[in-house]
Amino acid sequence: MSIVALDPTGGPPSAPRARRLAERPASLAGARLGLVVNGLGHSERFLDALAAELATLVDLAGVVKVVKAGVSVPPDPGDWSRLTEGATVAITGFGG
Amino acid sequence: MVPPAPTPAAPASGGPSGTPRSAWPDEEAFREAAHDQGWTDGLPVVPATPERVAACLATVGLAPDAVLGAVPTREVTVTAELAAVNAVMAGCRPEHFPVVVAAVRAHLDEHGNCHSTTGTLSGAAHAVIVNGPVCGELGIASGAGCLGPGFRANASIGRALRLVIRNACRAVPGGLDRATFSWPLRYSFCFGEDETVPGWRPLHVQRGFAPDESAVTVHSVMRMISAWDSTSRTPEGVCDSLVAETRVHGMSGDAFLGDGINVVYVVGKEHQRFFVDAGWSKERMQEYLWPRLTAPTAAPRDRWVNLGAPANILIVGAGGAGMAETWILFPHLAWAVTRPVERVTLTP
Repeated sequence: MSIVALDPTGGPPSAPRARRLAERPASLAGARLGLVVNGLGHSERFLDALAAELATLVDLAGVVKVVKAGVSVPPDPGDWSRLTEGATVAITGFGG
Repeated sequence: MVPPAPTPAAPASGGPSGTPRSAWPDEEAFREAAHDQGWTDGLPVVPATPERVAACLATVGLAPDAVLGAVPTREVTVTAELAAVNAVMAGCRPEHFPVVVAAVRAHLDEHGNCHSTTGTLSGAAHAVIVNGPVCGELGIASGAGCLGPGFRANASIGRALRLVIRNACRAVPGGLDRATFSWPLRYSFCFGEDETVPGWRPLHVQRGFAPDESAVTVHSVMRMISAWDSTSRTPEGVCDSLVAETRVHGMSGDAFLGDGINVVYVVGKEHQRFFVDAGWSKERMQEYLWPRLTAPTAAPRDRWVNLGAPANILIVGAGGAGMAETWILFPHLAWAVTRPVERVTLTP
Protein backbone atom coordinates (compact mmCIF):
# COMPACT_ATOMS: atom_id res chain seq x y z
CA MET A 1 0.00 0.00 0.00
CA SER A 2 1.41 3.38 -0.94
CA ILE A 3 2.14 5.93 1.74
CA VAL A 4 1.86 9.73 1.63
CA ALA A 5 4.23 11.77 3.79
CA LEU A 6 4.88 15.45 4.30
CA ASP A 7 8.18 17.17 3.52
CA PRO A 8 9.91 18.09 6.84
CA THR A 9 11.70 21.05 5.27
CA GLY A 10 8.51 22.74 4.14
CA GLY A 11 9.73 22.57 0.56
CA PRO A 12 12.54 24.14 -1.43
CA PRO A 13 13.84 27.52 -0.35
CA SER A 14 11.86 30.44 -1.69
CA ALA A 15 13.58 32.88 -4.03
CA PRO A 16 15.29 35.00 -1.34
CA ARG A 17 16.72 31.90 0.33
CA ALA A 18 17.93 30.63 -3.00
CA ARG A 19 20.37 33.53 -3.36
CA ARG A 20 23.63 32.62 -4.99
CA LEU A 21 27.13 33.65 -4.06
CA ALA A 22 28.37 36.85 -5.66
CA GLU A 23 30.82 36.54 -8.49
CA ARG A 24 34.43 36.39 -7.37
CA PRO A 25 36.57 39.20 -8.81
CA ALA A 26 39.62 38.19 -10.81
CA SER A 27 41.70 40.83 -9.02
CA LEU A 28 41.46 43.06 -5.99
CA ALA A 29 43.02 45.97 -7.88
CA GLY A 30 40.81 49.00 -7.42
CA ALA A 31 38.51 47.20 -5.01
CA ARG A 32 36.92 48.83 -2.00
CA LEU A 33 37.68 46.24 0.66
CA GLY A 34 35.09 45.43 3.32
CA LEU A 35 36.22 43.92 6.61
CA VAL A 36 33.64 42.25 8.85
CA VAL A 37 35.10 41.80 12.32
CA ASN A 38 33.15 39.24 14.34
CA GLY A 39 34.67 40.36 17.63
CA LEU A 40 36.01 37.03 18.78
CA GLY A 41 39.59 36.75 19.97
CA HIS A 42 42.00 38.75 17.87
CA SER A 43 39.76 39.01 14.83
CA GLU A 44 40.11 42.80 14.52
CA ARG A 45 43.90 42.72 14.79
CA PHE A 46 44.04 39.88 12.26
CA LEU A 47 41.81 41.58 9.71
CA ASP A 48 43.63 44.89 10.12
CA ALA A 49 46.91 43.12 9.43
CA LEU A 50 45.40 41.31 6.46
CA ALA A 51 44.12 44.55 4.98
CA ALA A 52 47.53 46.17 5.45
CA GLU A 53 49.19 43.22 3.72
CA LEU A 54 46.76 43.33 0.82
CA ALA A 55 47.42 47.06 0.44
CA THR A 56 51.08 46.27 -0.21
CA LEU A 57 50.11 43.88 -3.00
CA VAL A 58 47.37 45.74 -4.86
CA ASP A 59 46.00 49.25 -5.12
CA LEU A 60 42.83 49.23 -3.03
CA ALA A 61 40.33 52.05 -3.53
CA GLY A 62 39.49 52.06 0.15
CA VAL A 63 38.61 50.00 3.22
CA VAL A 64 35.25 49.76 4.98
CA LYS A 65 35.58 48.12 8.39
CA VAL A 66 32.58 46.87 10.32
CA VAL A 67 32.91 45.62 13.90
CA LYS A 68 29.87 43.62 14.93
CA ALA A 69 28.05 44.77 18.05
CA GLY A 70 27.98 41.20 19.37
CA VAL A 71 29.87 38.08 18.41
CA SER A 72 26.69 36.03 18.21
CA VAL A 73 24.63 38.25 15.94
CA PRO A 74 24.92 39.60 12.38
CA PRO A 75 26.05 43.16 11.68
CA ASP A 76 23.33 45.71 12.38
CA PRO A 77 21.38 47.22 9.46
CA GLY A 78 23.50 50.36 9.35
CA ASP A 79 26.67 48.35 9.02
CA TRP A 80 25.11 46.19 6.31
CA SER A 81 24.34 49.37 4.38
CA ARG A 82 27.89 50.63 4.80
CA LEU A 83 29.16 47.34 3.47
CA THR A 84 26.83 46.91 0.54
CA GLU A 85 27.10 50.53 -0.52
CA GLY A 86 30.75 51.12 0.25
CA ALA A 87 32.56 47.87 -0.48
CA THR A 88 33.01 45.86 -3.66
CA VAL A 89 34.49 42.84 -1.89
CA ALA A 90 34.37 41.80 1.75
CA ILE A 91 36.31 39.50 4.03
CA THR A 92 35.19 38.04 7.30
CA GLY A 93 36.89 35.61 9.59
CA PHE A 94 36.70 33.77 12.87
CA GLY A 95 38.91 35.17 15.57
CA GLY A 96 38.37 32.66 18.36
CA MET B 1 24.94 -6.52 -0.61
CA VAL B 2 24.07 -3.21 -2.20
CA PRO B 3 20.60 -2.05 -1.20
CA PRO B 4 18.15 -1.37 -4.00
CA ALA B 5 17.77 2.20 -5.15
CA PRO B 6 14.82 3.97 -3.55
CA THR B 7 11.68 4.25 -5.58
CA PRO B 8 11.09 7.84 -6.68
CA ALA B 9 8.24 9.57 -4.94
CA ALA B 10 5.14 10.70 -6.73
CA PRO B 11 4.07 14.26 -5.95
CA ALA B 12 0.82 14.49 -4.04
CA SER B 13 -1.32 17.52 -3.35
CA GLY B 14 -0.19 20.01 -0.69
CA GLY B 15 -1.70 20.15 2.77
CA PRO B 16 -3.64 22.94 4.48
CA SER B 17 -0.49 25.00 5.03
CA GLY B 18 1.00 24.18 1.66
CA THR B 19 3.65 21.81 3.00
CA PRO B 20 4.59 19.57 0.07
CA ARG B 21 3.71 15.91 0.32
CA SER B 22 4.65 12.93 -1.80
CA ALA B 23 3.66 9.31 -2.17
CA TRP B 24 5.95 6.29 -1.86
CA PRO B 25 5.19 2.63 -2.52
CA ASP B 26 5.71 1.68 1.13
CA GLU B 27 7.40 2.72 4.38
CA GLU B 28 10.70 1.12 3.43
CA ALA B 29 10.84 3.20 0.26
CA PHE B 30 10.09 6.31 2.29
CA ARG B 31 12.82 5.57 4.83
CA GLU B 32 15.43 5.17 2.11
CA ALA B 33 14.23 8.31 0.36
CA ALA B 34 14.47 10.26 3.62
CA HIS B 35 18.17 9.43 3.77
CA ASP B 36 18.64 10.45 0.15
CA GLN B 37 16.78 13.71 0.70
CA GLY B 38 18.89 14.56 3.75
CA TRP B 39 15.86 14.58 6.03
CA THR B 40 17.37 12.48 8.81
CA ASP B 41 20.10 12.64 11.41
CA GLY B 42 21.39 9.38 9.98
CA LEU B 43 18.92 7.16 11.81
CA PRO B 44 15.66 5.82 10.40
CA VAL B 45 12.66 8.14 10.55
CA VAL B 46 8.93 7.54 10.74
CA PRO B 47 6.87 8.72 7.75
CA ALA B 48 4.91 11.84 8.65
CA THR B 49 1.58 10.88 7.16
CA PRO B 50 -1.20 13.48 7.11
CA GLU B 51 -3.06 11.45 9.73
CA ARG B 52 -0.11 11.29 12.12
CA VAL B 53 0.57 14.99 11.70
CA ALA B 54 -3.07 15.85 12.29
CA ALA B 55 -3.07 13.76 15.47
CA CYS B 56 -0.16 15.80 16.79
CA LEU B 57 -1.80 19.11 15.91
CA ALA B 58 -4.98 18.05 17.68
CA THR B 59 -3.15 17.87 21.01
CA VAL B 60 -2.26 21.56 20.91
CA GLY B 61 -5.28 22.97 19.08
CA LEU B 62 -3.12 24.84 16.62
CA ALA B 63 -3.84 25.42 12.94
CA PRO B 64 -1.26 23.89 10.61
CA ASP B 65 -0.03 27.32 9.60
CA ALA B 66 0.23 28.69 13.16
CA VAL B 67 3.67 30.22 13.51
CA LEU B 68 5.86 28.90 16.34
CA GLY B 69 8.81 31.08 15.50
CA ALA B 70 11.27 32.14 12.86
CA VAL B 71 14.93 32.35 11.99
CA PRO B 72 15.18 35.81 10.43
CA THR B 73 18.74 35.39 9.20
CA ARG B 74 17.67 32.33 7.19
CA GLU B 75 14.26 33.66 6.14
CA VAL B 76 12.74 30.59 7.75
CA THR B 77 9.37 30.38 9.50
CA VAL B 78 8.50 27.31 11.56
CA THR B 79 4.82 26.43 11.58
CA ALA B 80 3.00 24.04 13.86
CA GLU B 81 2.60 21.64 10.95
CA LEU B 82 6.29 21.68 10.15
CA ALA B 83 7.12 20.98 13.78
CA ALA B 84 4.59 18.15 13.83
CA VAL B 85 6.07 16.58 10.69
CA ASN B 86 9.49 16.50 12.31
CA ALA B 87 8.10 15.27 15.63
CA VAL B 88 6.43 12.32 13.91
CA MET B 89 9.62 11.55 12.02
CA ALA B 90 11.57 11.61 15.30
CA GLY B 91 9.31 8.95 16.76
CA CYS B 92 7.05 11.13 18.90
CA ARG B 93 3.59 10.05 19.88
CA PRO B 94 0.89 12.71 19.60
CA GLU B 95 0.93 13.34 23.35
CA HIS B 96 4.61 14.24 23.15
CA PHE B 97 3.89 17.06 20.73
CA PRO B 98 2.89 19.79 23.23
CA VAL B 99 6.32 19.41 24.79
CA VAL B 100 7.93 19.66 21.36
CA VAL B 101 5.96 22.84 20.62
CA ALA B 102 7.15 24.42 23.86
CA ALA B 103 10.72 23.41 23.07
CA VAL B 104 10.55 24.85 19.55
CA ARG B 105 9.08 28.11 20.84
CA ALA B 106 11.82 28.35 23.46
CA HIS B 107 14.52 27.58 20.93
CA LEU B 108 13.21 30.20 18.50
CA ASP B 109 12.88 32.90 21.15
CA GLU B 110 15.04 35.88 20.22
CA HIS B 111 17.41 35.25 23.14
CA GLY B 112 17.61 31.57 22.29
CA ASN B 113 19.78 32.97 19.49
CA CYS B 114 19.10 30.00 17.26
CA HIS B 115 21.11 31.07 14.23
CA SER B 116 24.23 31.33 16.34
CA THR B 117 23.73 28.21 18.46
CA THR B 118 23.00 25.97 15.46
CA GLY B 119 25.53 27.42 13.05
CA THR B 120 28.46 27.73 15.45
CA LEU B 121 31.81 26.07 14.92
CA SER B 122 31.57 24.90 18.52
CA GLY B 123 28.69 22.58 17.67
CA ALA B 124 26.48 23.55 20.62
CA ALA B 125 23.74 21.11 21.61
CA HIS B 126 20.30 21.98 22.94
CA ALA B 127 19.18 20.59 26.29
CA VAL B 128 15.41 20.27 26.67
CA ILE B 129 14.66 20.27 30.41
CA VAL B 130 11.06 19.37 31.25
CA ASN B 131 9.21 20.22 34.46
CA GLY B 132 5.75 19.68 35.86
CA PRO B 133 3.07 16.99 35.73
CA VAL B 134 3.78 16.23 32.08
CA CYS B 135 6.96 14.43 33.11
CA GLY B 136 5.07 11.77 35.00
CA GLU B 137 2.28 11.57 32.45
CA LEU B 138 4.62 11.00 29.52
CA GLY B 139 7.31 9.03 31.30
CA ILE B 140 10.01 11.65 30.82
CA ALA B 141 12.90 10.21 32.79
CA SER B 142 14.60 12.23 35.50
CA GLY B 143 16.22 9.46 37.51
CA ALA B 144 18.98 6.94 36.87
CA GLY B 145 20.30 7.16 33.33
CA CYS B 146 18.11 10.12 32.43
CA LEU B 147 20.74 11.89 30.33
CA GLY B 148 21.22 8.85 28.11
CA PRO B 149 19.32 6.40 25.93
CA GLY B 150 16.50 4.07 26.91
CA PHE B 151 13.55 6.38 27.43
CA ARG B 152 11.15 6.90 24.56
CA ALA B 153 9.81 10.31 25.55
CA ASN B 154 13.25 11.74 26.30
CA ALA B 155 14.70 10.35 23.08
CA SER B 156 11.91 11.32 20.72
CA ILE B 157 11.21 14.79 22.12
CA GLY B 158 14.88 15.74 22.09
CA ARG B 159 15.28 14.31 18.61
CA ALA B 160 12.22 16.19 17.39
CA LEU B 161 13.81 19.52 18.28
CA ARG B 162 16.98 18.48 16.49
CA LEU B 163 15.08 17.48 13.35
CA VAL B 164 13.26 20.82 13.41
CA ILE B 165 16.65 22.50 13.61
CA ARG B 166 17.97 20.40 10.75
CA ASN B 167 15.01 20.27 8.40
CA ALA B 168 12.88 23.32 9.10
CA CYS B 169 15.70 25.65 10.16
CA ARG B 170 18.12 24.20 7.62
CA ALA B 171 21.06 23.63 9.93
CA VAL B 172 22.63 20.82 7.94
CA PRO B 173 26.27 19.84 8.61
CA GLY B 174 28.52 21.37 5.99
CA GLY B 175 25.83 23.90 5.14
CA LEU B 176 24.52 26.31 7.73
CA ASP B 177 25.70 23.98 10.51
CA ARG B 178 29.41 24.77 10.61
CA ALA B 179 30.35 22.60 13.61
CA THR B 180 34.00 21.56 13.58
CA PHE B 181 33.29 18.27 15.38
CA SER B 182 29.67 18.38 16.57
CA TRP B 183 28.88 15.80 19.26
CA PRO B 184 26.47 13.00 20.21
CA LEU B 185 24.25 15.32 22.25
CA ARG B 186 23.06 16.70 18.92
CA TYR B 187 21.10 13.52 18.24
CA SER B 188 18.79 14.08 21.19
CA PHE B 189 19.10 15.70 24.61
CA CYS B 190 15.98 15.82 26.77
CA PHE B 191 15.41 14.99 30.42
CA GLY B 192 13.09 15.85 33.27
CA GLU B 193 13.79 17.30 36.69
CA ASP B 194 13.38 15.11 39.75
CA GLU B 195 10.95 17.35 41.60
CA THR B 196 10.91 15.24 44.76
CA VAL B 197 14.07 16.72 46.28
CA PRO B 198 12.93 18.06 49.68
CA GLY B 199 13.04 21.85 49.92
CA TRP B 200 13.98 22.41 46.29
CA ARG B 201 11.57 24.38 44.14
CA PRO B 202 11.39 22.96 40.60
CA LEU B 203 13.17 24.94 37.91
CA HIS B 204 9.96 26.09 36.23
CA VAL B 205 8.57 27.33 39.56
CA GLN B 206 11.73 29.32 40.14
CA ARG B 207 11.14 30.81 36.70
CA GLY B 208 7.60 31.95 37.41
CA PHE B 209 5.31 29.00 36.69
CA ALA B 210 2.93 27.26 39.08
CA PRO B 211 3.86 23.80 40.39
CA ASP B 212 0.88 22.25 38.60
CA GLU B 213 1.88 23.77 35.27
CA SER B 214 4.31 22.07 32.93
CA ALA B 215 7.11 23.90 31.18
CA VAL B 216 10.17 23.34 29.04
CA THR B 217 13.51 25.08 29.39
CA VAL B 218 15.84 24.98 26.38
CA HIS B 219 19.47 25.65 27.16
CA SER B 220 22.17 25.73 24.51
CA VAL B 221 25.13 23.65 25.66
CA MET B 222 28.60 24.44 24.40
CA ARG B 223 30.27 21.88 26.66
CA MET B 224 29.18 19.49 29.36
CA ILE B 225 31.53 18.60 32.19
CA SER B 226 31.10 16.29 35.17
CA ALA B 227 32.06 17.90 38.48
CA TRP B 228 32.92 14.72 40.32
CA ASP B 229 33.54 15.23 44.01
CA SER B 230 33.32 12.19 46.27
CA THR B 231 35.17 13.67 49.23
CA SER B 232 33.17 16.78 50.16
CA ARG B 233 30.57 16.25 52.85
CA THR B 234 29.08 19.73 53.12
CA PRO B 235 27.07 22.02 50.85
CA GLU B 236 29.95 24.48 50.87
CA GLY B 237 32.41 21.79 49.81
CA VAL B 238 30.29 20.63 46.89
CA CYS B 239 29.65 24.21 45.80
CA ASP B 240 33.35 25.03 45.98
CA SER B 241 34.04 22.09 43.65
CA LEU B 242 31.44 23.38 41.23
CA VAL B 243 32.98 26.84 41.33
CA ALA B 244 36.47 25.51 40.69
CA GLU B 245 35.36 23.30 37.79
CA THR B 246 33.29 26.07 36.25
CA ARG B 247 36.06 28.63 36.45
CA VAL B 248 38.54 26.33 34.72
CA HIS B 249 36.43 26.65 31.59
CA GLY B 250 34.75 30.03 32.07
CA MET B 251 31.73 31.46 30.28
CA SER B 252 31.68 34.34 27.86
CA GLY B 253 28.94 36.46 26.38
CA ASP B 254 28.40 39.49 24.24
CA ALA B 255 26.53 42.77 24.05
CA PHE B 256 23.44 41.18 22.51
CA LEU B 257 22.99 38.71 25.36
CA GLY B 258 23.92 41.16 28.10
CA ASP B 259 23.82 39.63 31.56
CA GLY B 260 21.09 37.11 30.76
CA ILE B 261 23.25 34.10 30.04
CA ASN B 262 22.85 30.97 32.21
CA VAL B 263 24.71 27.93 33.45
CA VAL B 264 22.87 24.72 34.40
CA TYR B 265 23.98 22.44 37.24
CA VAL B 266 22.34 19.02 37.08
CA VAL B 267 22.86 17.90 40.65
CA GLY B 268 22.96 14.15 41.27
CA LYS B 269 21.55 12.38 44.28
CA GLU B 270 24.85 11.89 46.09
CA HIS B 271 25.39 15.65 46.02
CA GLN B 272 21.75 16.56 46.62
CA ARG B 273 21.71 14.92 50.04
CA PHE B 274 24.31 17.27 51.48
CA PHE B 275 22.11 20.22 50.61
CA VAL B 276 18.93 18.53 51.80
CA ASP B 277 20.47 17.40 55.10
CA ALA B 278 21.76 20.91 55.77
CA GLY B 279 18.46 22.54 54.78
CA TRP B 280 19.88 24.37 51.78
CA SER B 281 17.33 25.53 49.22
CA LYS B 282 18.25 26.12 45.59
CA GLU B 283 18.12 29.82 46.31
CA ARG B 284 20.67 29.53 49.09
CA MET B 285 22.88 27.51 46.79
CA GLN B 286 22.59 30.21 44.12
CA GLU B 287 23.48 32.93 46.62
CA TYR B 288 26.56 30.99 47.74
CA LEU B 289 27.74 30.17 44.22
CA TRP B 290 27.25 33.47 42.42
CA PRO B 291 29.84 35.71 44.12
CA ARG B 292 32.39 32.91 44.02
CA LEU B 293 31.78 32.18 40.36
CA THR B 294 31.99 35.83 39.34
CA ALA B 295 34.91 36.91 41.53
CA PRO B 296 37.85 38.40 39.57
CA THR B 297 40.06 35.87 37.87
CA ALA B 298 43.46 35.16 39.38
CA ALA B 299 45.34 32.65 37.21
CA PRO B 300 45.71 31.48 33.60
CA ARG B 301 43.36 28.50 34.12
CA ASP B 302 40.92 30.61 36.11
CA ARG B 303 38.57 32.13 33.56
CA TRP B 304 35.85 34.77 33.53
CA VAL B 305 32.35 33.54 34.34
CA ASN B 306 29.71 35.79 32.83
CA LEU B 307 26.65 35.53 35.07
CA GLY B 308 24.53 38.58 35.77
CA ALA B 309 22.75 37.40 38.91
CA PRO B 310 22.35 34.41 41.24
CA ALA B 311 19.11 33.50 39.45
CA ASN B 312 21.08 32.93 36.25
CA ILE B 313 22.45 29.78 37.87
CA LEU B 314 19.89 27.10 37.03
CA ILE B 315 19.89 24.16 39.42
CA VAL B 316 18.18 20.93 38.41
CA GLY B 317 17.92 17.80 40.51
CA ALA B 318 18.21 14.60 38.45
CA GLY B 319 19.97 11.28 38.13
CA GLY B 320 20.26 8.15 40.17
CA ALA B 321 22.26 7.03 43.20
CA GLY B 322 25.89 6.06 43.17
CA MET B 323 28.20 8.63 41.64
CA ALA B 324 28.96 11.76 43.61
CA GLU B 325 28.74 14.12 40.70
CA THR B 326 26.99 17.12 39.25
CA TRP B 327 26.94 17.81 35.53
CA ILE B 328 27.74 21.34 34.42
CA LEU B 329 26.01 22.46 31.22
CA PHE B 330 28.04 25.41 29.99
CA PRO B 331 26.10 27.73 27.70
CA HIS B 332 26.74 28.70 24.15
CA LEU B 333 25.75 32.25 23.20
CA ALA B 334 22.12 32.19 24.31
CA TRP B 335 19.83 32.52 27.29
CA ALA B 336 18.06 29.50 28.69
CA VAL B 337 14.44 30.11 27.71
CA THR B 338 11.41 28.59 29.48
CA ARG B 339 8.03 28.19 27.79
CA PRO B 340 4.79 26.58 29.03
CA VAL B 341 3.50 23.25 27.78
CA GLU B 342 0.02 24.03 26.45
CA ARG B 343 -2.28 21.10 25.74
CA VAL B 344 -5.78 20.71 24.44
CA THR B 345 -6.03 16.98 24.98
CA LEU B 346 -3.81 14.30 26.40
CA THR B 347 -4.12 10.85 24.88
CA PRO B 348 -3.57 8.24 27.59
